[in-house]
Amino acid sequence: VTSFAQCRVAADGFDIRYAEAGEGAALVCFHGAGGLRVSPGHELLAARRRVIAFQAPGFGDSPVNDRTATMPELAATMLAAVDALGIDGFDLWGTSFGGRLALWTAIAAPERVRALVLVSPAAIILRPRPQATPELLYAHPERRPAGAPPRPEVQAQQANLVARLMEPHRDPRLEAAMRELAVPTLVLFGTEDRITPPELGRRYVELLPNGHLMLVYDAAHAIDGDRPEAFAAIAEDFLERHEQFVVRRESGVLYP
Amino acid sequence: MLDTLTGGRVVAGMLRGTSNEYVTYGVNPAESRERFVEALRLIVRAWTEPQPFGWLGRHYEYRTVSIWPRPVQDPHPPIVMSISSPEMAEFAAANRIGAGLAVTTVPRAADALRVYRAAAAAHGWEPAPDDVLYRAAVHVADTDAHAWTECAPFATPDRPVGALSMANPAIDDAVAGAGYYGRERAQQRARVASAGDLRERIDTGQLLAGAPQTVLGQVADIRRTLGAGVLELAFIAPSPDSRRRAIELFGEHVLPRMAEL
Repeated sequence: VTSFAQCRVAADGFDIRYAEAGEGAALVCFHGAGGLRVSPGHELLAARRRVIAFQAPGFGDSPVNDRTATMPELAATMLAAVDALGIDGFDLWGTSFGGRLALWTAIAAPERVRALVLVSPAAIILRPRPQATPELLYAHPERRPAGAPPRPEVQAQQANLVARLMEPHRDPRLEAAMRELAVPTLVLFGTEDRITPPELGRRYVELLPNGHLMLVYDAAHAIDGDRPEAFAAIAEDFLERHEQFVVRRESGVLYP
Repeated sequence: MLDTLTGGRVVAGMLRGTSNEYVTYGVNPAESRERFVEALRLIVRAWTEPQPFGWLGRHYEYRTVSIWPRPVQDPHPPIVMSISSPEMAEFAAANRIGAGLAVTTVPRAADALRVYRAAAAAHGWEPAPDDVLYRAAVHVADTDAHAWTECAPFATPDRPVGALSMANPAIDDAVAGAGYYGRERAQQRARVASAGDLRERIDTGQLLAGAPQTVLGQVADIRRTLGAGVLELAFIAPSPDSRRRAIELFGEHVLPRMAEL
């Protein structure tokens, strides 16, 4: 198991916590509405990359964030944090709430984001989302990474921030910008996901000019927890080869 | 494509496959059920997904799937799957999939349907006759004696009518040892090996054979005992002429009266 170092960086007036492991090309990660939790997916990807998993201001143990009013503002803050680490070009992975943040980040700096991986993104919300219980997050709750959930007051504080930043649920500005976003984007939905159902996936590839939908079988919302090996393999291949990932490169010859 | 050509009349039969097929294709028989379930999910998704998509499964991985043309039936063609094992009977019932019974006998099919109907009730629905398909071999001639004489060569111990035979029984032992058969292993092995003499095959509904009135009686028994609304018949006959005659007799004297059953 790769061990993640717990670090902090000052950016845009915030003191931002992040977990980091691995060496190589930078992969910046944005967490979902529940906050930062290092998953087996992070650990597998850190074997070949420098994985930097940020905690957005206002989540977890950070002070209440009353300042950030919109997702584009939060994206600007996160880009400032990437700058503060001295990173120019980077790959970007966002989960759920973090998928929406990742899209706004790529829209703000398309020349810096080499490729985008969206896991169960919450950028297009058609119906009110159910409360994210472990049973809804995981098709296999026994695979949930260890660690207690945030304290109730932290959860309430995060929920406030998320509710504010996720408005409007359908954002015409975001969807218009997605139509213009040329960054290669892998969109993953779990076949058992009842928070962001897999039928939403088609809407992303209808909008994104270089978007590619993969349905992850037997995974719910937390894909990288339910199917970490499959998630890491497809993410790794996509980050390396972008749209070329649709083409098999292994030879089909069994014996020469 | 077939659904388009037929104007939406396709019913899709999905089968796990028989033990010998897992040997032929080099697939671990112990994984056959989970492969089947995943494949079924993938096929339904391919039928219904309007945009190209990739599939990251446990057993199957495709980077782009886009079938063309899509089925005309909405959301997709009805599915029938084999429910002879209790595991698959429960799965089909949980997923509101039609019950298919083949390579079996009427008494064994009745047992399987009890499991299926109980599981369907537990999931809040009741299968209709159209949800139950029974498959058997059939031969019709002018008289019972004539039909049975013509069938006899098909019912020798080395010609199991409707049953599966493996040239080398040790292969079925190997597949069974690998875990192909589920929790009713002994019964399932007996089912696919079952044959019996001509009389026994007719009595147990593996083979429908006789004059039209006799065959109609057998069909009525299947309808009554199993509640099956769909029959799938394989016409067996010693010659093309006698097969044609069997089909004519069935079409003229049996089929028109089946609606009354």
